[in-house]
Amino acid sequence: VPPMTSVADMTLPMRDDVVTDGNDRAAAIGNAPRAARGFFAVPKVVE
Amino acid sequence: VSGLVDLTIAEARDGLRSKEFSARELAIAYNDAVEQIAPLNAFITTTPERALDMAAASDARLVQGEALPLDGIPLAIKDLFCTKGVLTTAASHILDGFIPPYESTVTEKLWAAGAVMLGKTNLDEFAMGSSTTTSFYGATENPWRRPGDNRPLVPGGSSGGSAAAVAAHAALAATGTDTGGSIRQPASFCGIVGLKPTYGRCSRWGVVAFASSLDHPGPMTRTVRDAAIMLGVMAGHDPRDSTSAPVPVPDYEAALGGNLKGMRVGIPRDHAGVSDLSTENEALWQSGIDWLRDAGAEPVEISLPTTHVALPAYYVIAPAEASSNLARYDGVKFGLRVDGDSLDDMYEKTRAAGFGAEVRRRILIGTYVLSAGYYDAYYLKAQRVRTLIARDFAAAFERCDCILTPTAPTAPFAIGEKSDDPVGMYLNDIFTVSSDLAGLPAISVPAGLSEGLPAGLQIIGRAFDEATVLRVGHVLENAAEFTHVPVFGSSAR
Repeated sequence: VPPMTSVADMTLPMRDDVVTDGNDRAAAIGNAPRAARGFFAVPKVVE
Repeated sequence: VSGLVDLTIAEARDGLRSKEFSARELAIAYNDAVEQIAPLNAFITTTPERALDMAAASDARLVQGEALPLDGIPLAIKDLFCTKGVLTTAASHILDGFIPPYESTVTEKLWAAGAVMLGKTNLDEFAMGSSTTTSFYGATENPWRRPGDNRPLVPGGSSGGSAAAVAAHAALAATGTDTGGSIRQPASFCGIVGLKPTYGRCSRWGVVAFASSLDHPGPMTRTVRDAAIMLGVMAGHDPRDSTSAPVPVPDYEAALGGNLKGMRVGIPRDHAGVSDLSTENEALWQSGIDWLRDAGAEPVEISLPTTHVALPAYYVIAPAEASSNLARYDGVKFGLRVDGDSLDDMYEKTRAAGFGAEVRRRILIGTYVLSAGYYDAYYLKAQRVRTLIARDFAAAFERCDCILTPTAPTAPFAIGEKSDDPVGMYLNDIFTVSSDLAGLPAISVPAGLSEGLPAGLQIIGRAFDEATVLRVGHVLENAAEFTHVPVFGSSAR
């Protein structure tokens, strides 16, 4: 018995490789618990 | 206008168009009702001002004679659907303060059809549960009580807040999501209609993911006709969800009516042996068979031999997908952050504080079954079982046009009654989980009382044949004449 890979009888669609969303920094980081200078801010990882 | 909250969508639609009352009056009546049912804890967030604003826009269109399909209809939204500018929590601590900058496709369609938003309803954390008791925001109470017993009962879950709000007439309808039974089981427990459409029928875009191959958004309503109206708006292809099906959406409301002459209704023999099925729910199932026969349908015995392994397979596949989906909650981009000494320490502290016990349990199970040493033994095997379940249904549908089963094995239980027995809790989904694994449409319709509490019957249909599911559900609804009302109903307020 083959394992199920897709419950629906359809193949995944292809779409054109174009940006459909993005370039909205304020929205992207708007929910970040901490942001700095337009980036997500996390504890220092490089000594 | 009195009795406004007792109308169905179909009736409210007519009343609004004939100007018997305004969308504003309807919104005010429902805002009041939402406030009055506060003790049930059905809502996590209420949006009364937004409701009035949306109702004003509906009234402007109604006056112009340009009414949209759901203009002025007040809805409750399960707090798993992202709503732009409105707190979205998935009932989890880890999504603290998350205000989505976008709207889910399903809610976007509802608002574009003129519907009015009353608020966001409570659920089991990340929709993982059958009781709406694992919410970070506290348990939701069922508006029903056992006769002569005032202990609060669970509304079912995970869409328990939606079910309680609709049953208590504090929302005309609601959205839910169903991964293992999370629309149908709470619908059964609260005495309302719950419809899980075919996988791919309603877009998952903007719905907080639990188990992506199993998550089905769908409507919860007081009548089958209302479910047809809601589904017609919620359904449809969405290019933003790659599993959304490019299949035309029929006029579901037009599919209702008529008798069932020539319809073959499958009765799965294997389900009768399920030990957890209560005597009363089994008797109700027999009534359902008689009602459909009286309407001209022909009951045929079918076999779904993999039923007994559906739950075990589900409790491998759903946690596996959940462990992967929930990896994104790390305290960096949104939601809760608990500070730590290092990045790893911050991740660990955030996830330990943010997830409740049941969610942690499922992440651990999922991580285990996907681990290199156990992947074949558990995950791959469960996916094989899933193939067998789908084949069982395909074979059954050669002999019948739809399948009738109970929705839940028992009546609603008291809050806290099964909280120390996760496997007992999982058994609630024994009749619903197979159609999630196979992606098939299924409806729960209130059919009678069990221990003095509502109990539903379920109709399962072929893929993308929601029309038949609704049509047969409508016949059940008419035959059952379920007119009982909960203690916390509109008349009691």
